[in-house]
Amino acid sequence: MRYKEYNTNRVLDKCIVLFWDKGYNGCSINEIVETTGVNRFSLYHEFSNKEGILYESLNLYRERYTADNFAILNLEGDLVSILKNFYLSFLQESGPVQGCYFIHIGTELADNDPRVKKSVDDFLMHINDLIVKLLVKHSYEINDAQLKARHLLGLYCTVMSFCLIHTPEEREKYTLNGIKVILS
Amino acid sequence: MPRVLNNTYEELVEKAQEIFWVNGFKGVSIKGLSEHLGVSQSVIYNKFSKDLLFLDSLNYYTSNYSDPFLSQLRETTEGLDSLKDFFYALIDALLDKTFPKSCLMVNTIVELRNENEDVVKKYDNYLRVLKDSYKVVLEKAHKLGQIKERQKIDDYAEFLLGVIFSLSILYKIKPIEELRQYIDEELSFLV
Repeated sequence: MRYKEYNTNRVLDKCIVLFWDKGYNGCSINEIVETTGVNRFSLYHEFSNKEGILYESLNLYRERYTADNFAILNLEGDLVSILKNFYLSFLQESGPVQGCYFIHIGTELADNDPRVKKSVDDFLMHINDLIVKLLVKHSYEINDAQLKARHLLGLYCTVMSFCLIHTPEEREKYTLNGIKVILS
Repeated sequence: MPRVLNNTYEELVEKAQEIFWVNGFKGVSIKGLSEHLGVSQSVIYNKFSKDLLFLDSLNYYTSNYSDPFLSQLRETTEGLDSLKDFFYALIDALLDKTFPKSCLMVNTIVELRNENEDVVKKYDNYLRVLKDSYKVVLEKAHKLGQIKERQKIDDYAEFLLGVIFSLSILYKIKPIEELRQYIDEELSFLV
């Protein structure tokens, strides 16, 4: 049991990087076989089909790679810095991808695949709820906190798409400007 | 005897941009491209190339979709109200599939990032025109008294540059009322 679980996650890790680099539709099952070193039959046995690999990769990414980023939103300190550090934490080189896997996959597939759509929506709502909590902790009225959180979430979507082409300095400037416009 | 192409190059580009818009650059194979264009794969390899067809697709997109949309925006007179109309029209275009899949430039930025120098030039130019167009409208908003501090216009234009990116993901998961509310609120931050 233990050995198999480890193996599954390692396969999914490789698929995350593959889908990130080539797009989900841009890679064939043959490429998945080559990249993971697992044969087609085992892949189908484990995940049923290519979609199954995608769904499981989203789950793994969320469970394994986003906890540290989310934890930033629970830290004490200056609100603007906490938000800025949260956004920029996704763009560091620590995770399997530089950016947000959900936004990347959502951009490609959320309009065609209801399961991807739900998965992306759940992920974004989770961020939304954490930001509302953070703003309430910083003395925002609940209605105002919800309003601002919707737009800080919009900013999240922007930073994870638009800012991928930026230099680190441009990113920081863009992110700070966005937070200030929304919170002012 | 050399094979004569039935289509002009411009017609091929128009068709190519349809398939790139929906499937992205990497999601289109040479085989898929040749089937969609109705020309043989060797014609694509030898006569054009996937890269060239893609670059010209981006040109086709800007001259046929984004440029007319933005020049209309620059000519508006109602400041923030005109911006609201502009974003509402964009939401409609996304939902009724006038824009079959988000904005081709936004998709390209997300998909290819800084991988290809020629592509970078195209979207840099697109972003500059977009930001300048927002600034033109924000200047009018300032004259109308909707925006108090003129020196904030650059920051606001930078902020608005992101709206098209957030909409490109949100329209896929949120209903139209929420998208319109999002625009109204987003513009309410510009004071």
